[in-house]
Amino acid sequence: MRAISKLMIRFLRILLQRPLTFIGMILTVLFVLMALLGPNVAPYPFDDFVRDTAGKVIKRVPPSAEFLFGTDKLGRDIYSRVLWGARDIIGLAGLATALSVTFGTMIGLALGYRGGWVDEVVSRLFDSLLSIPAMVLALAALATLGASPGAIVAVIVLLYTPIVARVIRSAALGLRSAGYVEIARLRGESTAYILFREILPGVLPALAVEAALRFSYAIFLTASLGFLGLGVQPPSPDWGRMVYEARLDYARAPWGLWFPAGSIALLVISVNLTADGLRRVFRYEGSVI
Amino acid sequence: MAFSAPRTPRTLTVMLVIMACLLGLTALPAHAQGGTLTIGTNAPVNLDPALGSNDPEILFNHMIYDYLFDVSVTNEIVPNLANGYGISEDGLTYTISLLPEVWFHDGTTFDSADVLATFNRLVTIESPALGLLSGGDFTIAAPDATTVVFTLTAPNADFIYGLAGRLAFMLSEEVVEPNVLIEGDGALANFNGTGPFVLTEYKPGESATFVRNEIYHASDNVLLDEVVHVYIEDPLAQIDALTSGAVDFIFKVPVDQVGVLTDAGVNVLSVPTNQHPVIRIRTAEGFRGEDVRIRQALKLGIDRDELNELALDGLGTVGNNDPIGPLYGNYYAPIAQSYDPEAACALILEATGEERISFDFYVVDALGYPDLATIMQQQWEAACIDVNILVRPENVYYGDNEWLDQELGLTGWGSRPIPQQYLLEAYITGALYNESNFSDADVDALTAEATLTVDPSARAAIYQQIAAAFAERGAIIVPFFAPMIGATSTRVQGLNMNPFPGLTDLRGVSVSE
Repeated sequence: MRAISKLMIRFLRILLQRPLTFIGMILTVLFVLMALLGPNVAPYPFDDFVRDTAGKVIKRVPPSAEFLFGTDKLGRDIYSRVLWGARDIIGLAGLATALSVTFGTMIGLALGYRGGWVDEVVSRLFDSLLSIPAMVLALAALATLGASPGAIVAVIVLLYTPIVARVIRSAALGLRSAGYVEIARLRGESTAYILFREILPGVLPALAVEAALRFSYAIFLTASLGFLGLGVQPPSPDWGRMVYEARLDYARAPWGLWFPAGSIALLVISVNLTADGLRRVFRYEGSVI
Repeated sequence: MAFSAPRTPRTLTVMLVIMACLLGLTALPAHAQGGTLTIGTNAPVNLDPALGSNDPEILFNHMIYDYLFDVSVTNEIVPNLANGYGISEDGLTYTISLLPEVWFHDGTTFDSADVLATFNRLVTIESPALGLLSGGDFTIAAPDATTVVFTLTAPNADFIYGLAGRLAFMLSEEVVEPNVLIEGDGALANFNGTGPFVLTEYKPGESATFVRNEIYHASDNVLLDEVVHVYIEDPLAQIDALTSGAVDFIFKVPVDQVGVLTDAGVNVLSVPTNQHPVIRIRTAEGFRGEDVRIRQALKLGIDRDELNELALDGLGTVGNNDPIGPLYGNYYAPIAQSYDPEAACALILEATGEERISFDFYVVDALGYPDLATIMQQQWEAACIDVNILVRPENVYYGDNEWLDQELGLTGWGSRPIPQQYLLEAYITGALYNESNFSDADVDALTAEATLTVDPSARAAIYQQIAAAFAERGAIIVPFFAPMIGATSTRVQGLNMNPFPGLTDLRGVSVSE
């Protein structure tokens, strides 16, 4: 507990020293709140066509007091869609990141602690998997699995688990011969105990930074897949798909592109700034991309 | 008494200058002739004249090759390499006379042997062109160099349209592999047609350059000196290329870009076509569409006017529930369509005993159809119909034949010169592309009767009966017929875009420098 308090104080001090990290954290929190509460505060359902009093659909209205982000070519309120869409992108990327980090941590800890031929084989397997560009692998996997939210999560987990595992493995390698690990082993503790009670706390800094980075990349990948039409299906307010749909209409309703694209950029930047702050707190520089 | 003032030298000078100017102006043509037309288009993939069927492919081949007959922008038959034809009384023999002085680009003479070679090749390689050519069930003879005789085993009122089919380009009998690039010298020797332009350079995926055919049989009609095809895959990039002056003509522009083109000050071309989306439900045994009440509920739940307004900015023509659109004149029978979600709900309750019904709705990702599906989803929701939209890339939807297997789907159908093609390809029992599995004895019999009926008014009566059958019990919804949008720079004159843009006749086109 004392260590955690110390870290928190250090983190706050760095926040004050680095306003960008502070801004990043605030924005990230706001985005998470948007994902949680957005649908409750959105003025319209994400798929509703806004109509005038005569029942005519009001399409391509520029941003105004009534429609903060304007309406799109089908007369849907873009502000509402962006609010609703935060849940999709943060939810999918968050779930995928959580699963990747969980699986990657378990595999990485086991490989780093055990070593030997299993470590060699699995590490080389991961290396070969990571040698394939992420987007190519994602497209191939989605072509096989079909485009659905579950498939997107599965693809991101498949892509990011090896990366997390590699980072955690290298961190665990340095800890397996530490004195307190040796003592635990001599005490006759089980492997699970050693991994999760002795080694895991030592790799937490690396894990926190890696998790934040993976989350940022997962957001970008989810949005990219949505843009390519491989994300969630219409009329879902997936930000990537919104960018794709607004692209053709850019000359007539550019605001349709500005806000979802801006939201993706802002979210990714915020998470990256937060990750950067975490890295400085933990003085951790070992992350891989 | 007439009085004329004495003219001073200064007045005379002014008059002379004015006269010189007037003479100079009248000496100029009404519009500048010749020039280079640069077309921004997608790249052709299959260059085989008998197989490559999409717009870029037809556009490419239409530069090099001629047809026996052309189909005009109003879908009329116009002789080209043929100068006339006769049909026997029993409708089984077509005698085609050919123009006598026609040459291929290499200087060899075009004659009936080339026509025989062309149609025999269509049969050999089982070209889709055979669809209107009685499936290839004909014999062909050449009594002399300028006469060709086709003999059918059964009458086919559309046979002449088959001879004018998009893939029936006249090839030289001496070219074994048409449009195949040769390594080394004479790389373009296999691109040897009688058409108005000669291919001089071809860079696959990049560009193609054509120059005027100086030995063209109607050389006076060809005004352009050169035509360049620049291959641009992205429709927005095509628009940018046009508005920046890099190209002079683009086609198949998304309908929602019309405003952009108008604002840019280019000439917007809008041609009515029979291109339409088809929303179809499977009627095979065991599927819910087997019940005509479900089909009717789907139709009643659609507000066609709003679909046209939202999906096409009101530029389309609202359709019936059959594939025969207003483009076909008297063959089209306007039928009043009603939007009645309450009646739809009542039909669903009656047919299923449930308050609502739900479907997976497979949609091809093309031509803005995902947007169309989104609008329909909203409209159907009020009609007690819930759909889960599943957008599929074109290569998956068509490539894996998914479109023929799903219960509820949205498919795009391009324009055809005659309505009979739709009926034969997709709506008679057992048709190759009968995606709804629709089987109706009356429609089958009426379609067969139309095949044999040459008289236009009798045919119109048949098509109106078919339209009524579709409205009453058909398995498809045709919400609208979309226009074909193209655009030219202001330098282009005389370009009349064909409803199938690849067939646009460039012979009378000129570009001012």
